[in-house]
Amino acid sequence: MNFWSQARRIGAAVAVAVFVSLTVPMQSASAADYVPINGAGSSWSSNALDQWRRNVQQYGMRINYASTGSSDGRNQFKNGTVDFAVSEIPYGVKDGNSVDGLPSRSFAYMPIVAGGTAFMYNLQIGGKRVTNLRLSGEVIAKIFTGVITKWNDPKIAADNPSLTLPSRAIVPVVRSDGSGSTAQFTTWMASQQSSVWDSYCKAAGRPTPCGVTSNYPTVDGKGFVAQPNSQGVAGYVKQTANIGTITYVEYSYALKTGFPVAKVLNQSGYYVEPTASNVAVALLKAEINTDKGSDQYLTQKLEKVYTNKDPRAYPLSSYSYMIVPTATQNGFTADKGKTLGAFANYFLCEGQQQADALGYSPLPINLVKAGLAQVKLIPGVESSSVDIKSCNNPTFSKDGTNTLAKNAAMPSACDKRGASAQCAVGTGGATATTNPGAGSGGQKSSGAGSDSGAGAGTGTATGTNEGGTSATDEAGTNDTADGTGDGSSAGTEGGVVLGATAGGGPVSCDNDTGVCQNVVAEPITVASDSAWGTQQNAALIAVALLLAVIFVPPTIARLVRERRSR
Amino acid sequence: MWAKLRRRRGSLSWIGARRPVSVDSPRAIGTSRALSDRIFRGVSRGGGVTVLAIMLLVGLFLLIRAWQALSVSGWSFLTVSSWDPDAGAGHFGIAAVLIGTVLIALVAIVIALPVSVATALYISEYAPERLKKALITLVDLMAAIPSVVFGLWGFFFLQGAVTDIARWLATTFGWIPLFAVEGFDPSDPLGSMTVFTSSSFVAGIVVAAMITPIMTSIMREVFSQAPVGEREGALALGSTKWGMIRSVVLPYGAGGIIGGSMLGLGRALGETIAVYMIISPVFVIQPHILQNGASSVSSLIALRYGEASEFAMSALMAAGLALFLMTLVVNFVASSIASRSRSGVDS
Amino acid sequence: MVDASMSAARVVPDRKFTAPRADDPATPAPEPRRVLHAVRIADLLAVGGALLAAVSVTVVIFTTLTPFGGFYGFVAITGTGFIAFYSLLTWLDSDGQMVRDRIAAAVVHMLAASVLVVLVFVVAFTLMRGAEVLPFKNFYLEDMSSTGPLDPLTMGGIQHAIVGSLIQISIALVITVPLGLTTAICLTEIPGPFSRFVRTIVEAMTGLPSIVAGLFVYATLILILGMDKSGFAAAIAISIMMLPIMVRSSDVVLRLVPGTLREASIGLGATQWQTVRRVVLPTARSGLTTAIILATARGIGETSPVLLTSGFTAALNTDPFHGPMVSLPLAIFEFVKSPEPAMIARGFGTGAVLLLLVVTLFVIARIIGRQDASSRARRVDVFQKFVAGLKSAWAFLLRTPSLFVAGVVRPVLRAFAWVNRVFGRGGEK
Repeated sequence: MNFWSQARRIGAAVAVAVFVSLTVPMQSASAADYVPINGAGSSWSSNALDQWRRNVQQYGMRINYASTGSSDGRNQFKNGTVDFAVSEIPYGVKDGNSVDGLPSRSFAYMPIVAGGTAFMYNLQIGGKRVTNLRLSGEVIAKIFTGVITKWNDPKIAADNPSLTLPSRAIVPVVRSDGSGSTAQFTTWMASQQSSVWDSYCKAAGRPTPCGVTSNYPTVDGKGFVAQPNSQGVAGYVKQTANIGTITYVEYSYALKTGFPVAKVLNQSGYYVEPTASNVAVALLKAEINTDKGSDQYLTQKLEKVYTNKDPRAYPLSSYSYMIVPTATQNGFTADKGKTLGAFANYFLCEGQQQADALGYSPLPINLVKAGLAQVKLIPGVESSSVDIKSCNNPTFSKDGTNTLAKNAAMPSACDKRGASAQCAVGTGGATATTNPGAGSGGQKSSGAGSDSGAGAGTGTATGTNEGGTSATDEAGTNDTADGTGDGSSAGTEGGVVLGATAGGGPVSCDNDTGVCQNVVAEPITVASDSAWGTQQNAALIAVALLLAVIFVPPTIARLVRERRSR
Repeated sequence: MWAKLRRRRGSLSWIGARRPVSVDSPRAIGTSRALSDRIFRGVSRGGGVTVLAIMLLVGLFLLIRAWQALSVSGWSFLTVSSWDPDAGAGHFGIAAVLIGTVLIALVAIVIALPVSVATALYISEYAPERLKKALITLVDLMAAIPSVVFGLWGFFFLQGAVTDIARWLATTFGWIPLFAVEGFDPSDPLGSMTVFTSSSFVAGIVVAAMITPIMTSIMREVFSQAPVGEREGALALGSTKWGMIRSVVLPYGAGGIIGGSMLGLGRALGETIAVYMIISPVFVIQPHILQNGASSVSSLIALRYGEASEFAMSALMAAGLALFLMTLVVNFVASSIASRSRSGVDS
Repeated sequence: MVDASMSAARVVPDRKFTAPRADDPATPAPEPRRVLHAVRIADLLAVGGALLAAVSVTVVIFTTLTPFGGFYGFVAITGTGFIAFYSLLTWLDSDGQMVRDRIAAAVVHMLAASVLVVLVFVVAFTLMRGAEVLPFKNFYLEDMSSTGPLDPLTMGGIQHAIVGSLIQISIALVITVPLGLTTAICLTEIPGPFSRFVRTIVEAMTGLPSIVAGLFVYATLILILGMDKSGFAAAIAISIMMLPIMVRSSDVVLRLVPGTLREASIGLGATQWQTVRRVVLPTARSGLTTAIILATARGIGETSPVLLTSGFTAALNTDPFHGPMVSLPLAIFEFVKSPEPAMIARGFGTGAVLLLLVVTLFVIARIIGRQDASSRARRVDVFQKFVAGLKSAWAFLLRTPSLFVAGVVRPVLRAFAWVNRVFGRGGEK
């Protein structure tokens, strides 16, 4: 019964465990000429960095990267606890009222990997998944600011002439944690849709003008859902019950989750998908701030990317930076510089080959040039190896020809705005084609939409709605009155009214329209819980009777026996 | 009790050494402890002091880091419900977050308490001897399931299953404000089920699953210590098993039940990753537990620390401090209750 | 569902035994043994019947009477029905006291079963999602340093995380077990205002958000003291998490040691230290094991403190003081964030490995910490039988004079005796 001898034994066991674990042979010793380096930051870029880290392992480089978030990466770099940081946002950006000051150590920004902000969604028409949704920039901004709230909104219908979308509520899913994809999305919002964005920010209690932020502001009561991590938002949209959700996320998550992404309207009137080449084409217009006096020296200027006239360009394209030290301080040595330089040289050139497979987009020639110029500033780098001529990047050939601009596929004609029918081919990870409601009434009413185009959004609204609710008189008239009365806002309102009415009476709905197909086809338990009527009372009485039949006789028997025995 | 006993013994031995036993005169009562005892008491006090120092250091650290934000916000920190520290004073406060934390913890404890008392009783009183050990190991194992795994399970599996229950609750008990769900119309078949996801209720169930094993372990331990003599006495007096449990085991284990619950409540209040993975944070006071949108202090910290500025970090620390103080108060109340039970000491 | 021991409370003699005859005191009739744990056929029938009735009534309700649907509703109604039928059946031939007993037993069994079902679900969920990766040997023997997101499951593994977790939890245990136990002893054995204060603070600390522990270590050890992000820093953060739980749960079980035992020990002239060492700690032995297990469980599965303090690496690092070191929960956290299905499968596989590791550690801990007399007796029994068997064999061998065999067997027997002394503790009694 000696406790302490047992304690000694536990201690011994622990010691043995430590000893065993210590003597496990080292898997691979890093080569003598590269010292390990540590980095932290963006989770947006982590998939690419993870792959590159693995690839350079064979050269004896040991890169440790912790994807703890862009701001954490920047803070750690500032504090000198990491050798490099990866971030979507540069230092010195005003987020709300706080300004993230520049670090005291000297540093440079280097583009590392590009990608488009994809809009992954979960939507069904008549029990079949929609895979070819198209959205214009304005609609995206209005969806993510809670202005457009139903999928059958005339503005969405204007973008999708071949789809008759149900009157489901749109549930935008945003990031609940601070994140780089939010920063990239809001950069675009602030730049291209500033009025919508600012009024939303104001409602959320933020100071305006509302610029870039990595924490997506939410306004209570708008029905937004916030989830952490890209995996979180993608996983949420993926869940079967969550029909009607849409989120902004990296393209790779939509690909691997098997879900479609929305094609986004670009400046030249095409709806394009955020594929690797479309993003790279858009980024050919990326500019870099070359004003050495500015705080924003070497940071990205994406206005021209957003408005790139190339028909292939995906508007919401951007890239992330690696923040590298340019002096030996805060524990950064020339030896580490050698490793970092070689690593950077690898991923700017060779590493970009895998960007596509990883769900990113390779950096185009202009950004690679800018990046290589920064590599040379890293102390200890072997500058002789840094040469664009020996750069094996997929977007340009060794002689400097921009192969990407030459070879990238042009969008098909059906992706052009105003084409009579939109492409039915699936997007993102969902390859199935969408052909809902063929030969149904939905098709007819949508014809009006494609004729009128985007400019006449109101007209389209009326047409679609009328077609959808021909069965319900009340809604129809209500709607027409609104549609003819006012501008586009009234049309939206009409859509909302319709949604509520059509949803309220599934039985009276017309089977021919897309809306009603949807209602009928969905496995909905139009159950007892909807209303308490005679039927429910009857059921309750039946249950009560059944229980009475079972319980009363034995109870009486028992009571009787008790009385007798007394 | 201790001091008294030791004193008696110490002085007696001292007397015995000095004087013949027969002399019976007034004696000086002094405490002289053996060397081993003095070392023992010193060492264990030292342990207490070290732990206290560490814990106070953490508290102090929180206070120092929180000071910047607290000095800016002042009392508005307690009343404001939105969370936007970068927008300055009046734009961030813990009213919503703290209430959200309490709601999740309450849901968790309301579910976990009966379940873990029953499980502990089952293991200590009902389970066949052979099954017992396996069950103990199972429960311990459950306590070690990482919160990430619980979070994933809750997110991918439980959420879908629970929405049905939540829908039923909202439809049937919607007239109780706690179960009301805004924007949910039971008669609308196209109504989205998303209003029932990511709620305090779902998070609470997951947290309940996490704290049940801890609570069960402690309670089982305490129940199994209930004096055998009294159990036998109760049975011999003709009591049923349940009668014995009610009259012997439960009163004896009251301290354990409270202690275990408090341990569980502590974990429920402080749980980070699982809650973080499930809730959709909102920054208004959200008393509807079934409705999408919840908040908790620790998940707020986990969500925001990565992208927080210096000042926002300080605000997060202030939120952590508030949670710490709240836990302190709750525990203080609980320990004063627990000390009245038999298995709790009267310290 | 309701097992045999449930009816243990009802000590009903199965047969009438014959009383010893008074006229012949010299030769009393042997008293027949009574079976205390008798299962009455009526009990089983009541349980089975109630269950059958509940299920059938629920089926009738669901299929013909009402438009109810859903699995959970079915289970809930069946459960309620079972309780109702069971109490009715019991009530038919017993009194209210007994009905209450049966209802309580049924409720306890059902709730316990629900906990176990949830547990099995969570574990099965993890195992199922991770099943894809578990068969690969490389998953246990390699690290991720030469494996990227695009590589198949046949490459890379989590050796680095397993080793990292073991090292970190070992360091944390080395810190928390002595410190936590000493503090808990201080709280129970030296009561007073100081102890009360410590207890209150420690109890409040159990609610400390785990990420704050990480932030604390990050701000102090790493930023101020300039330590690397390392396994040691992570272990310190875990220790801060574990300490309050360790102290609190040992405090709860140490309080249970009856004061009479302490008084008896003091009465026999033992000093306080001797009392604690020889009486208090051994009495609370299994409880203290539980405390250590709970603290370990919390520490080994916690992600957030490690997130900030250990750094992240894909390579094996066995030096806790330098360079990043990954633990299993952190590896899970990073794996499941990835878009690649292979990485997510690795994440769940890591979860399964963590569970297996924990089970192993706990089983070992329970064996060491076993306290109840029956199991000790059984263990001693097994060893004694074993040794007795060997001894008889030895005696047999002695009778067949073969020096060679004796030369082999004697050392073996010595070894067994040693094993018995060390693990069985049968000899000490």
